Amino acid sequence: MAPHVGFDTDQIRDKARKDLLYLLEGVRGKKSLVIEKSLAGPVGALVTASTLRDYGVEKFFFLDTNNADTSQRNVVFVARGDSEHNVQAIADHMKRLQRESKTGHEFHIFWVPRRTLVSDKLLEELGVLGDAEIAELPLYFFPLDKDVLSLELDDSFKDLYLSKDPTSIFMLARALTGIQQKHGVFPRIIGKGDNAKRVAELLARMRQELLAGEDAHEAGKMGLTPSTTMESLIIIDREVDFVTPLLTQLTYEGLIDEMFGIQNNQTEVDSTIIGAPAQQQPQPQQQQQGAVPAPTANPQARTRKIQLDSSDKLFEQIRDTNFAVVGNILGKVARRLKTDLDSRHSSQTTAELREFVTKLPALQTEQQSLKTHIALAEEIKKSTQLEEFGRVLEVQQNLAAGADPSSQFEAIEELIARDMPLPQVLRLLCIYSTISGGIKAKEFDLFRRLILEGYGFQHILTLHNLEKLQLFLSRSSPLASMIPMTAAAGATGTKTNYTYLRKQLRLINDEVKEHDPNDIAYVYSGYAPLSVRLVQCILQKQFLLRITKGNGVTSSVGAAGGAQGWRGFDDAVKHARGQTFDELQKGEDKAVKARALLSGGSDKKTVFVVFVGGITFTEIAALRFIAKEEAARRNIVICTTAIISGNRMMEAAIEKEAFGKAGDQADAR
Amino acid sequence: MEAPHPTEGWEQVGERFYRKIPLYTAIFDEDLDLDNYVIAGAPYAGALALYRDENKLVAYQPSKSSKPTIDIYSCAGKLMRSIKWDNGAIKGLGWSVDEKLLVITNDGTVRCYYGLQDDFTQFSLGNGAEDVGVNSCRFYDDGMVALLSNNALISVTSYDEPRPKLLASPPEGQVHSWAIIPPNYTLSRSVEVLLSIAQTVYVVDASECEDRFLDIGPFTQMSVSPNGKFAALYTETGQAHVITSDFSTRLSEHDTKSKIPPKYLSWCGNDAVVIAWEDEVHVVGPNGAVAQFFYDNRIHLVPDTDGVRVISNNLCDFLQKVPDVTEEVFGIGTESPASVLLDAVDQLDAQSPKADDDIQLIRPQLPEAVDACVNAAGQEFSVHWQKQLLKAASFGKSVLDIYNSDDFVDMCETLRVLNAVRFFEVGLPLSYEQYLRLTPEGLVSRLLNRHEYLLALRIAGYLRLPTDKIYVHWASAKVRLGAEDDDTACRLIVDKLAGKPGISFESVARAAYDEGRSRLATQLLNHEPRAGRQVPLLLSMEEDELALDKAVESGDTDLVYFVLHHLRRKLPLAAFFRAVNARPLATALVESSARARGPNGEEDTALLKDLYYQDDRRLDGADVFVREALRQPDARTASDKLALAAKLLSDDARGNAFELAALREAASLLRLQEALDRDLTDSFTGLSVNDTVFKLVRLGYHTRAKKVAAEFRVPDRVLWWVRLRALVAKRDWNELEEVAKGKKSPIGWVPFYNLILAAGNPRLAGVFVGKCVAAGGLEPGEAVIMYEKCGMRVRAAEEAVRHKDAEGWMRVLQAAGRGTPEGREIERLGAGVFKR
Repeated sequence: MAPHVGFDTDQIRDKARKDLLYLLEGVRGKKSLVIEKSLAGPVGALVTASTLRDYGVEKFFFLDTNNADTSQRNVVFVARGDSEHNVQAIADHMKRLQRESKTGHEFHIFWVPRRTLVSDKLLEELGVLGDAEIAELPLYFFPLDKDVLSLELDDSFKDLYLSKDPTSIFMLARALTGIQQKHGVFPRIIGKGDNAKRVAELLARMRQELLAGEDAHEAGKMGLTPSTTMESLIIIDREVDFVTPLLTQLTYEGLIDEMFGIQNNQTEVDSTIIGAPAQQQPQPQQQQQGAVPAPTANPQARTRKIQLDSSDKLFEQIRDTNFAVVGNILGKVARRLKTDLDSRHSSQTTAELREFVTKLPALQTEQQSLKTHIALAEEIKKSTQLEEFGRVLEVQQNLAAGADPSSQFEAIEELIARDMPLPQVLRLLCIYSTISGGIKAKEFDLFRRLILEGYGFQHILTLHNLEKLQLFLSRSSPLASMIPMTAAAGATGTKTNYTYLRKQLRLINDEVKEHDPNDIAYVYSGYAPLSVRLVQCILQKQFLLRITKGNGVTSSVGAAGGAQGWRGFDDAVKHARGQTFDELQKGEDKAVKARALLSGGSDKKTVFVVFVGGITFTEIAALRFIAKEEAARRNIVICTTAIISGNRMMEAAIEKEAFGKAGDQADAR
Repeated sequence: MEAPHPTEGWEQVGERFYRKIPLYTAIFDEDLDLDNYVIAGAPYAGALALYRDENKLVAYQPSKSSKPTIDIYSCAGKLMRSIKWDNGAIKGLGWSVDEKLLVITNDGTVRCYYGLQDDFTQFSLGNGAEDVGVNSCRFYDDGMVALLSNNALISVTSYDEPRPKLLASPPEGQVHSWAIIPPNYTLSRSVEVLLSIAQTVYVVDASECEDRFLDIGPFTQMSVSPNGKFAALYTETGQAHVITSDFSTRLSEHDTKSKIPPKYLSWCGNDAVVIAWEDEVHVVGPNGAVAQFFYDNRIHLVPDTDGVRVISNNLCDFLQKVPDVTEEVFGIGTESPASVLLDAVDQLDAQSPKADDDIQLIRPQLPEAVDACVNAAGQEFSVHWQKQLLKAASFGKSVLDIYNSDDFVDMCETLRVLNAVRFFEVGLPLSYEQYLRLTPEGLVSRLLNRHEYLLALRIAGYLRLPTDKIYVHWASAKVRLGAEDDDTACRLIVDKLAGKPGISFESVARAAYDEGRSRLATQLLNHEPRAGRQVPLLLSMEEDELALDKAVESGDTDLVYFVLHHLRRKLPLAAFFRAVNARPLATALVESSARARGPNGEEDTALLKDLYYQDDRRLDGADVFVREALRQPDARTASDKLALAAKLLSDDARGNAFELAALREAASLLRLQEALDRDLTDSFTGLSVNDTVFKLVRLGYHTRAKKVAAEFRVPDRVLWWVRLRALVAKRDWNELEEVAKGKKSPIGWVPFYNLILAAGNPRLAGVFVGKCVAAGGLEPGEAVIMYEKCGMRVRAAEEAVRHKDAEGWMRVLQAAGRGTPEGREIERLGAGVFKR
């Protein structure tokens, strides 16, 4: 744990693995593992089912189904400690097992990521506190890839913006503090948005508390002097830019997410599209997932899970490209692969043959992956060629480009009449409202009627939720009136003014080439995500000035080149919602120098870009695009509370129940 | 002053030497008859606890109170605390590694006295201990095992969160003696217990009980070596056996030839077994070699990791194996480089040139000699010899060109600390090895237990350790014992503690609160920088609102939930809401937890309704009713709930006009659907308006569909779309042809063409191309393609001809094929226009 070692997401993965296995080891003998459903995926990505088996885990169960059997003496619960619901579920489990089983049970609860006061209190009230050994399993960040860390709090968007429950902010601050303790504090914290500010405040507070903490002598040396390997922390609140995730993602990975959904790096696809799972390819994660009734993947499964991460080299190559290009690349790879495979016929000597044979497994894996992605891409292409998809995209792009929103009324009405999936329609309405500062009162009522009549009156709740989220507002609403509609408006910072920012930060870039991208706008085929533009305001001032002010003025902006923080874009940033901040975290000079000495001459530092409230795959793609351009100067690590998409945002608001269905459900139970 | 030579008190045991180091003298009062007392000593030279053995008679002494007490002494015999004991027979008395005194009574109650104070925490062993009674207990670093009268074994692995657990049940029969192997030394990571029952020994752990099949028992004494690898067994016949603790190898055997059973059987380090009778100690080494030590008085043994302390009324000795380095330096007849180096210093003092001869003699091994001297110094208890050895080391290293003095410096520091705490008033006679195991931090906390604050501070400063705990301990003691009034005490404490890192004012405040000085506690708490730590204390001080504020401030939702939970249980609802209302975060959390309460995730509607009502949040309140309506099984009750929602909103009929209308319509749709369900014996309930219309059209009830659309004022364009989709879904081509006869469509004709074509009726789709053309608004050439897609090449050609679209015409022609009748027709059509 030398201080001068730079940050690496593998460290986080290794530590999480070690923590988990250590705890499991502490439970002697064979055991059942009862895990919260939303943790199964992330944990499955850390350790394979066979490793768990080596550590004595005989059976897996989901917490919510309350079906763990009495076969094992040891029962281990793994669940998030912040949820009252989980406490209740665990207590139910324990009571049922104690009742059903003749032999005694040993219960162990591993709270993720921490043991909470509330959980103790509730367990005590439920009368089972004394029956369980309780431990903490400090899993905060789950590495999704080598440059992406996520808390994987699936409900964080809903919690933060609808329920106003800031638990995920606290978790994020905790997780970042953990990184700071190990690698030193971020020398600079820059951010935008009220929740981002809150994270920064909590970081400062936790730093103070650490300084005041008991282990001050340890932390003082390592964690609380500015890091020399990390450059800065950039925090962006999702609230600043709701429009970007609402638009349809147009990168390959983004489209997979839009069409099939990606959970913990996995997507589930109908096996008629993709073919049955290949037997020769072991899929440990899948086993972990499908482990509930019996650890073997059930053969009748209609769907198949596909692992999507950079371990698949082909996927790594195409994930962040615009979908328009994917076909081409896949074609090229297919041709190359064919020549590679054909080379066996041309092999003359045994040495050549041997060489071919050693390459063969790799080629076969690649071929397998190619087959999968071609099938996926074709399926996506089928959907993208549908007329409705085109319509939706057209409306989105018109709205984003600043067309008169009223002109889109008929198109949206038609989509509702055609019974497009509700989330798609709501996304359009939300884009409409968010971009143009609310919807005219008359149209607003019309839209609401259309939704209620088209999708059911239960969505009166949905609409109300969207209003609370400030995504779908009437212009007459007090919340909407804060939106400055003119570029010259004095009131700034209460709402994001897309009209102004569209020009100032050149959000629309039609000249972008999808095949050979020169701007992040390629991810949405012409729209540059505002959230990532804000990151560029900090990291790529020169570039941004060049494209916003036109070409050939690079010389005049030399001054801005050395500037840090928001310098040069203060004005533009003011027109986005929420507080803006730029803070330096300093330490004692002596310590800084000592640290600099220890870290040696590595001048390539890491920038952490944190999205509070969730990030989309397209934004990740855009950030990776920046990272590639900046590769000579810095590394970029992306952190977030969860991966989101427009559909997931809508899911948070949409009322799931319908009238008159309660009776049916009761029967089903 | 001439110190006795270090080899004094050495006794040979086989090839090795054992030494007896006198630590202190005049330990206990001469009147104290140790024979009547049970003694337990804390590990690493910790405190001694004395309790009068109730099985023995004692002479009545009128001067002394006959109330039983547990007396805690330092190793030097300083009485540190006397704990009144009136809880009956003590069945187990022992220490944890951090000097917690554990007292176990017959009914299985465990009292854990911490910090050498009167204060204790208490828990019960359970598992039937209260009924059958505890027989005896064994202790290890931070846990213990209790043996009940019915041979059941209960293990406790932590005193902070005690969870007494039953081990596997051993067989019946009298337990002659027993011992434990601490969990850190077992393969199973659980504590293992050796029980001598009948002839054999059973090994018991958490899950199984195993017979070791010995036939030389029963054993009256058993003991496991400090490293858990060996066990010593003492038989009734006076035989001592040493075996490996897994019972695989028998190592040695020794016949004491004693008829009297010994008082103690324990280990002296890991190499020798100590057997002690009233006033006689045998050290039995490997291969049965023996050394004997005799005492004048009754003695007790206190085993430690690297030796045993022998305690009697007038002395405290430490018996250990002579460490290797010490033997190397001082051993009789040794000519090791280190001993030569030591001699060189003597010569130097005597100003003899022999000093140089010595150095030259050992020149090649000088670095090792220096190291040996440094290490041997650490093993010495005599300051004189420490100095002498360090002097030798210093001299040796001055001759060397390159020598890393870190070890030397460290040893000097360590020895200063050790000598300070070995001082009889402190009474911590730590050996070097014990010190390393105890760690400097552990030493500091021992000093705190003894209220040696100044020494603790000095040592912490000297060794660069954190001092926060020392200050906090001092302050806590101050508020507990100090006579100052609140303000002075607070000022005193804050003056001393402010600005020091790591100070937990919360701990001090808690001490004050526990002492009943709640005003002082509040004052102190204000100085605590960590909001999170203030909260639980504030709650127990009934400072509810302050606690809530601090919890909110901390940003930790767990704390907020914790406070809310507490308040909800404690306050009446109105007061609870008052406390919550002013704080948006608290309100949000109350809402979100009420939304998700209950085992099946159903919400706590009553709480939410009350909350919204008294906060005048009508819309939110109405939402609760709407959600309730959704959970109703039938339309009637659902409508009732909707009416309740509407009632809530009716106060502001203008502002909520839309919502009210929607609620009304929702109810009427439900009624209407119920009627449809009945009339058409199909299920409509739960569908949206559009879906209802769609389903009606699809089932062929066109008039009903129109009526529904009219009632809910479905816009024309929407209605047309829905009808179109339903008809296409039904494949009702006749009806669609009827539609085609209409003049105008609010949605144009293109959708008709598209959907019908997609549904697989190109003929009918073709009809609509004509309508599209007639309606206008198509791109030139588009109609050609549309016709082509329908397979109507002739019409396509006509269209191409009309627009003079040569390219399109050619394409159609080629598709048709020139030779076919169709092709000829097309050629004919184009012939006039497109001349080649």
